[in-house]
Order: sequence, then C-alpha cells, then structure tokens
Amino acid sequence: MAALLQVSELSKSYKLPGHWFNQKESIALEPLSFEIKAHQTLAVIGEAGSGKSTLAKLLVGAEIPSTGKIKLNGQTLNSENFKQRCQHIRMIFQDSGTTLNPSLTIKKLLDEPLKLNTNLNEKNRNQLIRETLQKVGLLTDHMNFYPHMFSGGQKQRISLARAIILKPQVIILDEALASLDPSLRSQMINLLLDLQKQMGLAYILISHNLSIVRHFSDELMVLSNGQVVEYGKTIDILKKPKHKFTQKLIMSQHFQLLHK
Amino acid sequence: MNLLDIRNLSIELQTTNNSILAVDHVSLSMKEGEVRGLVGESGSGKSLLAQAIIGVLDERWHVHADRFHWRGKDLLRLSPEERKSIISQDVAMIFQEPMSCLDPTTTIGEQLAEAVDTEQLSGYFWQRNQQRKNAAIKLLHKVGIKHHDLCIKSYPHQLTEALCQRVMIAMALAKRPMLLIADEPTAAMETTNQGQIFRLLASLNQLKNMSILLISHDLENVTHWTNNITVMYSGQFVEAGTTKQIFTEPYHPYTRALLNSSPKANIELPVKSRLMTLPGSIPILQHLPIGCRLGPRCPRAQQACVKAPKVSNFHGHQVSCHFSLKDTY
Repeated sequence: MAALLQVSELSKSYKLPGHWFNQKESIALEPLSFEIKAHQTLAVIGEAGSGKSTLAKLLVGAEIPSTGKIKLNGQTLNSENFKQRCQHIRMIFQDSGTTLNPSLTIKKLLDEPLKLNTNLNEKNRNQLIRETLQKVGLLTDHMNFYPHMFSGGQKQRISLARAIILKPQVIILDEALASLDPSLRSQMINLLLDLQKQMGLAYILISHNLSIVRHFSDELMVLSNGQVVEYGKTIDILKKPKHKFTQKLIMSQHFQLLHK
Repeated sequence: MNLLDIRNLSIELQTTNNSILAVDHVSLSMKEGEVRGLVGESGSGKSLLAQAIIGVLDERWHVHADRFHWRGKDLLRLSPEERKSIISQDVAMIFQEPMSCLDPTTTIGEQLAEAVDTEQLSGYFWQRNQQRKNAAIKLLHKVGIKHHDLCIKSYPHQLTEALCQRVMIAMALAKRPMLLIADEPTAAMETTNQGQIFRLLASLNQLKNMSILLISHDLENVTHWTNNITVMYSGQFVEAGTTKQIFTEPYHPYTRALLNSSPKANIELPVKSRLMTLPGSIPILQHLPIGCRLGPRCPRAQQACVKAPKVSNFHGHQVSCHFSLKDTY
C-alpha cells in the first residue's frame, strides 16, 4: 500500500531580531522525513519545547515550513492552498472547551466547514451533520444545543465531529486526550479506534502518556530539541530504546508499570 | 491515634430553590506518617473535601459530620478562631498550577520569607531579618533547590513549573505541618517533572514523618506513591483500602472499571483493541441519581441500588456497594 502522507526534509526556523549583518535564526525543527499509511497511527513524543507542536502546525498549514515538502497521496500540498489542505488534514486541540465558539449552536459550528469547503445544499448538509453526530456517539437533537450545555467529554466528541465531517484522511491529535478523565479517555480512545477502522483514517498523536501511545500507535517518533532522536515501530522502541533521551523518558513513566 | 478522623461528612450547597448534596457521607481517616491517595474523577467532590478539612469553604456550603476529629479534638465544636489556629499550625495545602498560585509581582525570596513564622525566630529585632532570610534559604535547600541565590532573586514567571511547585512545597513546609494536602500537584506537568515532585513528596514523608493526602483524578498515577487509597465517585464514598488491595482486588465495580479502562494496568491487552469502559458520563450536580450514584452506569446494578448502600468493612478494606465483587475472587 502506498503511503498516504509523505513528509520529506520538513524544517522550521524563526528569524531572531537582529541587525541584518548578523542575522540569527532559532531552529524549532530540524529537517525530518516520515510516511504514514491509511489505517495507521504515528505517535510523536518529546518534552516541552522539542518541536512537537511546531510539527503539528506545519502539517496543518498554520505555519509555513522553511524547507521541505508535504505530499498527500503523491500530490504536493501547497502552503497557500488552504482549501485543499483543510479538507484532508484536520486537527483536534487539547482544550476542547475553548476551541468551540460559545455563541454558535452545534449545528452552525459543524455547518461552517461544510459551507466553506463543499457545494452541498442545505438539506444535504443537515443530513451530513446528523450522520456525523451519530457517528461520534451524540444524538441528532444535540444540533440545537450550545457548547456550554455539554460536559467535557461531549465537547471533545463535538470537536472530533468537526474534524471528521469533511471526510479527511489525516487527523492530528495535539494532546487531545490529556485533559480528559480516565473513563472518558478510554471511551474516546475506543471511538477513535472505531473511526479509524471504518474510515481508514491516519492519526498523528502528540502525547505525554506513554501507555496511551503504546496502546494506540503503530509507529513512534521521539523528538528532542527539534531533532528526531528515534523513529520506528512503537513496540520495538518501547522494548529496546536506543537513545539515552528515549530511555530517560520511558524510565520516568515505566517505574509505575514495573511496580505491579 | 488517628491524625484525622472523619466519619460521614456531608457538604451541602444551599441555593435559592433547593439544596444540593455535593458530598454525601464520606469517611476518611489518616494515621501519622501515612500517604493516602484520594482518587476521583472531576466533580467527585475530592477538592471540596480537602477544602472542608482546611476550612476555607464560604457560607453557602454547609458541612455536617458525625465525627470530624483532628488529633482527638472535634473541629466542628470549636470556634472559627480556635479552629483556624489549629489548622494553620498543623495542616498545609498545595494546589495545582503553581504558577498561578504565586504572586507574580514579588520575588520568590520575599514570598518565602513571608511564609516563615515569627515564632521560629529568636534574638533581637535587628537580627530577625537575617534569620528570616536564612530560614527561607534553608527551606529551598529542603526541597532540593541548590542554587538558592538565583532562585530567591527571580520572579515566578522566570522559573519552570516544577521549580514553582517546589517553591510552593517549601512554603507549605515553613510551618512544619503534620499533614500536607496536595491537590493534584502534578496536573498538566511533564512526566519527567511529575516524577521529581512525587519523589520529593515521598522523601519528605519518610524523613519528616509528614502525612500526605494526595488528591488525583488518575488512579494509575498515584498507585506507586501511596500506602492507602480512597476512591470517590460523584460525591459518594466508593472504596478504601491499601494500595495493593485496591489495585489487585477491587471490590467495587467502579474501581474495577477504572482499572480496566487504563491501558497501563492491562499490559497484556493487545495493541489497538477496544478498552473496557463504563457507558455514559459523570452526572452533573443538578441531576444526581438517587441511591447509589453510579447506578445508571453500573454493570452490576439491580433494583436494590436505588437505595444508597451502607459501607461494609472487610479487614480494613471498606466498600460501599450492594453487590460487591468480593465473592468473585
């Protein structure tokens, strides 16, 4: 099976303020390459400031990369062409409560991406919204509710619905599971796994929690200071971490596993 | 003797129309030198319970208890002033998000010096300032900050989150408390820093024989550090016992579900398989189910569950359920 998303030599650096003779740069992300297939999950772990979120922003198009190419199904994604990109690559953020506009009903929230990106008429759009809400385990009656009427777990489902409503191929989860309560988190993991099976989604999971990473992902990328330290199959890396940094990261969570 | 002994504590919120029972008959006891975990999801009333112990709830909240003893003294019978003096002497609390708890306009050194008790100082008034400073530096050393010169001069925003939490712990230690209540001390922290903070708390517990009440929403995070665990759900007492009892043989269906739902506790589980979960979500305070509040979500619920179950005790392992899992082991 051919790769769905191909990233080659992607990097990002910011220009620091300075005189134009000694222009300095701060490198947020060193050149990195990877591939994801459909039905697969790539997990990205690393400490704060290691470039995880920069990577997510570059992929989703919120930042323009300094070098490198992103190919989706063999087609190069243009950094200016947002329409093409936002249909295929969607993102879910950590704090679902604050990413939903409080003054819009759920129907309007989900209608917005459809209006901007598709040519469907109102009837079809409503039909699609209903289907999507049912897919993520909500009721069609929830269409007329406002975000504040939902609990945290339900809000996370709504942001998931907003992500999948355009039938994307890649979803980026930026710490989307971190702030949920444990029982809601496992519900959410189940839902994400089901959707992956049904729709053939590819996930890019950015997370701290190694136990979720181990359960959820096929491949793992470890970042440190903007550099790829290790990249490979999740099971292999977690069993035999080669780099010192990975070992440290695993040790800091692993003692709790060994305790049993 | 128990340090803290609470029996059937209820906390009621008085609104204009009706009253809501936010915490419903919860018991909690702590011995000296014990580390107890208080585990519950959001809205389970664990932070309310901690605030009730400290006594910082305002007038809208009514606290009733059959017994509320601190080292043999009944706190509910004391006047607010007496209670305050006892609690401020013996109990300290640290919160989540240490950055937002520290004063952003004052240096760490000044804030720490403020926390040092005047009674611990001796000598003439012109010596006091120097002593206060030295006490602050000593406190920083106690929590493992070696470069005290830099730390004392800096403002909270200049330090990392883990360092800020250390400073908070140092402030809590200034009074030499017997009980430290840590309300989610590592929420939203990097895992490497989480380990540091937990290790610091554990060493304080062992070296100073300080009891710690560790509040967390995640069962799997605290199990390594606690002797005993109390589990709460939606304001009700669920289960209490030693960490091993809770982890290997949970009697309550809710604890069982919590353990089953975490991928960490089930290493044998095949990758990418479905996790076991409870259906539905946590009820909100305005619409609490009657009887056992887990009822609508519980896999073992039967007709008897519309009445709140009594707490039964099996060799120190307390569980509040009509149909406990005890017989299945």
